[in-house]
Formats: sequence, structure tokens, C-alpha cells
Amino acid sequence: MAERNDEDLALSRRVAVGDSAAFAMLVEKHERPLRAFLARMGAADVADDIAQEAFLKAWRAAGQYDGSARYSTWLTSIAWRCRLDELRRRPRVTEIEMDAAETGLDEVNDMLARLSEGERASLLLCEGHGWTHSEAASMLGMPLGTLKSTVARAKTKCRDLWSGAQNG
Amino acid sequence: MADEFEDFLSKALAAPERQPDREFVQRVQVQVRLDEHLRAQRSLVWRGLGVQIIGIAALAIGALWILRSPAVSAFAVESPAILLLALLGAFSLVILLFSSYEPGADLVKRTSSR
Repeated sequence: MAERNDEDLALSRRVAVGDSAAFAMLVEKHERPLRAFLARMGAADVADDIAQEAFLKAWRAAGQYDGSARYSTWLTSIAWRCRLDELRRRPRVTEIEMDAAETGLDEVNDMLARLSEGERASLLLCEGHGWTHSEAASMLGMPLGTLKSTVARAKTKCRDLWSGAQNG
Repeated sequence: MADEFEDFLSKALAAPERQPDREFVQRVQVQVRLDEHLRAQRSLVWRGLGVQIIGIAALAIGALWILRSPAVSAFAVESPAILLLALLGAFSLVILLFSSYEPGADLVKRTSSR
């Protein structure tokens, strides 16, 4: 993981001096998890717009990335702020689109739709994307204790819904 | 039950495996290029504005300095109409000079020729 971040740091340093080819490599590496996270947070079309905005901000602020956290942590925190800005502009984007083509996703989307914005983001990052609690707390700008309790609350809600669906 | 649920949750929430989306990468690249272009144009416009302000200030100071000389003052008293015409002419030249100056023109030409 450290090697991967060293590689990202080297690419980011090239981006800071205007190397767009290095930036394309970073986008190629990180677009999949970032877009998956954003798509789970809201409607898919808005998710791609937010991802693009986040990458553009990462391009502009490349000089500020110092490698103290993983590049993906830094990028996701930018995307999270873009998502919050989008919510302030258009509160409707909390709505989660159901994708009938993907088997089993309706149940998950239904669960996620019942969570608050913070619960959904915390659960997705920690349970789905494998981030540590402290990394997720830093991305979402939450105190560690708050994040842990948010994840636990979200999991309890989901478990109740899941158990209900299994029994019903 | 709990393990089964944890399993379900981590699988359901994980980012789906797929190849990098090159179309998306290209879209971001286009946006980055556009952003760079706009930034360069903005800085050229500001620089141009600065040059114009300095130019106008220099001309105004020069005109005032000339008008303060005794010979010009005497001429102004004798034939104010000619002096006014001369000032209007100079002012028109300044307007023509600055209106023909387009700070972003080079950049637009360079970008469109790519």
C-alpha cells in the first residue's frame, strides 16, 4: 500500500507542475471506487458530475497534496465536500436510483435510502470500501468517536431491515 | 446470522470490479484542458487591464505636465479651441490604441490552431 501511495505521490507532484498525462493516470486509478461510492450516495448521473468536479479540484489543488494520507483518502474527502455542496444546491440528489438490472441491489438501495447522509457515507466507506475508521473520519471531517457510533447505528438499522426481509 | 449479514453487507457495498473507464478519464482531461485555457485567458485579461490602467495614468500625468508649462498655458489662453481639438485628437488616438489591443487574442489563436 505504501508503494502504491509513493507512486501516487510521485504522480501528484508531476500534476502539480502541470503534467496532464500523470493526472490521467491518477484518474484512471481512482475513478472506479470514487464513482462507485458517489453512485451509492445518490443518483448515478449526478455522481459522475460530482466525480468530475472532484477530479478537477484535485487537479487545481495538486500542490497541496503532501502524501501524509493516501491519495484516495485525499481525493474522497474532496469528493465528499463536492457532494455536500451539491446537496446544498440541489437537495433532491439524496434520492437513490434503483437499478433493476443489478440483481440484489434493490434491497441494498432500499436499505441505504433509509439511512441519513452521514450514516450512508460512513457505512459505505468502512464496510464496502474497506477504509479504516480513522481514514473514513478524516475523509468525512468527523471526529473518530462520532464516526464509529455512526457506522454502528447504520449497521444496526441495516441489520434490522435485512432480518425483516429474511423473515418476511 | 450476524456473519451472514456482514458478508452480505460487504459484498453489496463493495465497488464493482471493472476495467478503468477511459471515456470518463477523457472527459476529465477535456475539463482540465478547458479549465487551464480559461485560467490562462483570465490572467491575460487581468494583465491587459493592468497595462491599460498604467498606460492611461501615464498619459494623464504627461498631459497634465505639458499643460502646466507656461508656454502651453499661454497658448491655451490665446486659442483654447485649438488646444481642445488637440486634446480630443489625442484622446481618440488613445481610445483607438486600447480598443485594438485584445489580451486573449494570441491564446485563442494558439488554441484554435491545435
